[in-house]
Amino acid sequence: MVLTLRDVSLSLMGNAGPVDILHDITLDVAVKETLGLVGPSGSGKSSLLMLMGGLERATGGSVDALGHDLTAMDEDALARFRREHMGVVFQSFHLIPTMTALENVATPLELAGARDAFDRAAAELDAVGLGHRTDHYPSQMSGGEQQRVALARAAAPRPDILLADEPTGNLDAATGGQIMDLLFGLRDRHGATLILVTHSRELAERCDRTIRLVDGRLDAGHGDLRVTDAAATGQAHPAVDAAE
Amino acid sequence: MTWVRDAARIAKRELRGGLAGFRIFLACLALGVAAIAAVGSVRVSITEGLQREGRTILGGDAEVQFEYRFADAEERAILASVFTGVSEIVDFRSMVATGDGLEAERALTQVKAVDQTYPLVGQVELDPPIPLSEALAGDRLVIHPILADRLGLSVGDPLWLGAKRFEIGALILREPDVSAQGFGLGPRTMVRTAALDGTGLLAPGSLFDTEYRLTLPEGTTDETLDAARAVIEPELEGTTARWRDRRNASPQIERFVDRIGSFLVLVGLAGLAVGGVGVSAAVRAYLDRKIPVIATLKTLGAEGRTIFAAYLIQIAVLAALGIVIGVVLGTLIPLAAYPFIQAQLPVPVELGLHAAPLAEAALYGALTALLFTLWPLARTERVRAASLFRDASGPIRVLPRIRYIVALAVLAALLVGLSAWLSGIPTLALASAGGIAVALAILIAAAWGVRRLCRRLATTRWARGKPALRTALGSIGGPGGEATAVVLSLGLGLTVLASVGQIDANMRAAIDRDLPQIAPSYFFIDIQPDQIDRFRETVISDPEVTRVDTAPMLGGVVRSLADRSAETYDHWVTRGDRRVSYADAMPAGTRLTAGEWWPSDYDGPPQVSFAQEEADELGLALGDEVTLSILGRDLTATITSFREVDFASGGIGFVMVFDANALRGAPHTWLATVYASPEAEGRILRQVAVDAPNVTAIRVRDAIALVTEALGALAAATSWGAGATLLTGFVVLIGAAAAGERARVFEAAVLKTVGATRSTILSSFALRSALLGAAAGVVAIAGGAIAGWAVMTFVMEAPFTFEPLSAIVIVLGGASATLLAGLAFAWRPLAARPAQVLRGRD
Ligand SMILES: Nc1ncnc2c1ncn2[C@@H]1O[C@H](COP(=O)(O)OP(=O)(O)O)[C@@H](O)[C@H]1O
Ligand SMILES: [Mg+2]
Repeated sequence: MVLTLRDVSLSLMGNAGPVDILHDITLDVAVKETLGLVGPSGSGKSSLLMLMGGLERATGGSVDALGHDLTAMDEDALARFRREHMGVVFQSFHLIPTMTALENVATPLELAGARDAFDRAAAELDAVGLGHRTDHYPSQMSGGEQQRVALARAAAPRPDILLADEPTGNLDAATGGQIMDLLFGLRDRHGATLILVTHSRELAERCDRTIRLVDGRLDAGHGDLRVTDAAATGQAHPAVDAAE
Repeated sequence: MTWVRDAARIAKRELRGGLAGFRIFLACLALGVAAIAAVGSVRVSITEGLQREGRTILGGDAEVQFEYRFADAEERAILASVFTGVSEIVDFRSMVATGDGLEAERALTQVKAVDQTYPLVGQVELDPPIPLSEALAGDRLVIHPILADRLGLSVGDPLWLGAKRFEIGALILREPDVSAQGFGLGPRTMVRTAALDGTGLLAPGSLFDTEYRLTLPEGTTDETLDAARAVIEPELEGTTARWRDRRNASPQIERFVDRIGSFLVLVGLAGLAVGGVGVSAAVRAYLDRKIPVIATLKTLGAEGRTIFAAYLIQIAVLAALGIVIGVVLGTLIPLAAYPFIQAQLPVPVELGLHAAPLAEAALYGALTALLFTLWPLARTERVRAASLFRDASGPIRVLPRIRYIVALAVLAALLVGLSAWLSGIPTLALASAGGIAVALAILIAAAWGVRRLCRRLATTRWARGKPALRTALGSIGGPGGEATAVVLSLGLGLTVLASVGQIDANMRAAIDRDLPQIAPSYFFIDIQPDQIDRFRETVISDPEVTRVDTAPMLGGVVRSLADRSAETYDHWVTRGDRRVSYADAMPAGTRLTAGEWWPSDYDGPPQVSFAQEEADELGLALGDEVTLSILGRDLTATITSFREVDFASGGIGFVMVFDANALRGAPHTWLATVYASPEAEGRILRQVAVDAPNVTAIRVRDAIALVTEALGALAAATSWGAGATLLTGFVVLIGAAAAGERARVFEAAVLKTVGATRSTILSSFALRSALLGAAAGVVAIAGGAIAGWAVMTFVMEAPFTFEPLSAIVIVLGGASATLLAGLAFAWRPLAARPAQVLRGRD
């Protein structure tokens, strides 16, 4: 198993006291599996993804990644772990605005101590079709281009696990399609495990397996999207589905 | 005019959001206004105190002063016929001694010889508390406690003044008529004029002046005083007597206070300019946040001018608040500092509420606020409704309309013009304004340069593999960011401090290092002609003495130069008494720059050799005539040569040297300078005193100490002003750091996500701050060096050397201040979990 979650729960301090966001999540993700995370907005998909990446700390249960107990690691240990094993892609790209595309991609490699960080970063940008825009700042690029840089940044250190949180959520359908093809391409090339949060049924269908979250719990009645009634997802997000 | 009402309504609604984003704005404006208001209030309070106490400070309703002579019987009769009270005071410098032998201790003193009617106004306070008449009865005198301390004496002990033995009757605690105090090289000795008989002092040619204090019945109006003056003045016409009355009792103090006050207001304006940078940054950030609101308003049909007015009203309300806080602070600060201020002044001061300086400060504050916010405000007009849908978070980066740029120029001119006019020192004000403008321009260029450099460095091979450094360089040089605000505010604050540092260090160096090496040990004055040969012998025979220069000296007053009366010149040579000399052969070491020295034993019409630099300043040419009044007689001489005279060397230097024949007959004394090792100084002084107890010795070291002390006071005052400027700079710095916190939080979250540890992130932040601070410091040093060079070269006319110590302190200070501010805002970015930050932005 790449990821093992046992009875994971998460509650955060909201404005009006603690809010329970995730309840008793138990989940295994196999090596090189591609897992789709679906569910209505606010159901806790992003939160779960963050827990898997060690970007959020579980308030209960255990999160085990590649044999390491993430709940027992401190912030710096988690950062070092991510540096070696994880790549994260966000809906809003989250590039560092004061760095060029090349510098953004090179940063995780540098942090990992790679001597050839910049050469590898340039190759990675080439791979996402941005070899000609290495010196551009994020503010000088379109959303799709920014997300491609973000993909390159996530993939550059050859992570074992790729986490993607609605990577096409801020993009039009055509651009989103390109991004998705790139993402799946990277997964295949590096043989990484991919966990993908998405609202798109089409994308969900490209996953090996999907799980559905409702109100912070795994939806027990939900199995593989390809065999269950897809209308449930469709009803939750008719607009998104209609657009695709 | 509905748009005005609309604007007001919008402004009101937006202001309900509170002041959270405007703390820095308010602090910057309030600090600047407070500093100026405080300085102005204190200045007015002191000036008013001087006016109110004018009669006491002067020691009468009026005073007529003569140089080197007493009023004659006729003049006395006229004074007595017009005034109800007349009191005669003689003021001169002399020595007091604890004995008359070689063992005696000696000290310089400023003697005030008074008659029975002194003081006409006020009381002399003595220790023990006895009447002055009792303390001065017989051959007794009273002295200042400092003098008693210096000589280790107390009341009842004997004390020699000139060649006569006195007894100390009491110590002087307070002298009411402080204006009479001269340069103040020596502490006060007070004695009856009649008792000076037998001292050997006040011999013909001695340097002294007499002051006739005059009173009218108490409550006399200024008109009556003017009428009295009108009677007296024609009678004194043709003499060098000078009139002063209670309305300008202490022009020196008043001028000094005025000068320091104006100077500090200028420093305050520099502080306000620093604050302006903060104000501008705060308004810019606020308006950038408001772009969606502005765009929405435009979608709803609001015109550009409505929006401009809406935000102008908000800024105006906030500025008014800041100014009010500043004025209140400016009123309170002097109250807190009152004991300190009073201790520095010879007259009682009452601090009160003075409208004028507060209004002046408020006006400066309002103009500065407008000047620094107009640019960002004007750009709101250019926000398009469409920006709401395209890129709502992008800052406005367009030029405002031309009319606003014109308005800016007018505002700047108004501010500069106003400060030039109100400060009363227009040249300095314009120079400072120019200096600030140049400094700002340099700093803007420097900020741009620093950003370019950092951007360039971030992409070099050198920065690769050092993610902390590269991140730091990127966040300085990359798009957006507050690098400009930090470099500007801190840089300007540090520039003011660096200028003060460079100037102060250079002045001290000029005095401490250069002067004592060449300056003589002692000046001896009042050497009588029959004593000079003996004096020379005594001094030269001492093995430690390396050099003795002597010259005859007479006191005169310049009456006209080149056919223009002295009053029409504004130059120190034509003001007050002027000591002159005469010589037959050209004294050794003289360097003529034009004309020729008279032949020896010359006995033609009087000739004079004039100092070159002063002649240039006065616009004199060879062949011009100089008329000098010497002891009531006018002497007119033709300028036949110019000489180089170095007044800074501390040696003998006279602006005018006449031919010997012209002046030999006039009563005069000799001046001597003695160069000797410090160890020999005491011995020489004692030996000279045995032969000539009437001779006054002035230790050059003491005179220099006095100048240094005065400079020190000025430097201290300026440092306080510069400190206030720096404080404002620091507030701006904190504002910039706070404004950058959001960006830092985001940066940290992303860096953590891609694998950066907290120590890496922290070192990146620290590097970033230190780099910015050091950059501001380096620019400040360059600015300070330029300012220091300009002041030393054009104002002090002394050489400038770069003082590295203050420079190093300033760079380090700048770097650590920014570091401190940066680290203070590093906690949140480091502590926040990435998920919290990054999810919030989705
Ligand atoms: N910092 C927070 N404090 C309290 N509640 C939060 C916080 N962040 C998110 N939530 C809540 O947690 C729930 C899950 O959010 P999220 O994981 O973003 O859902 P999803 O990604 O499925 O839309 C939502 O109800 C959201 O309002
Ligand atoms: Mg989400």
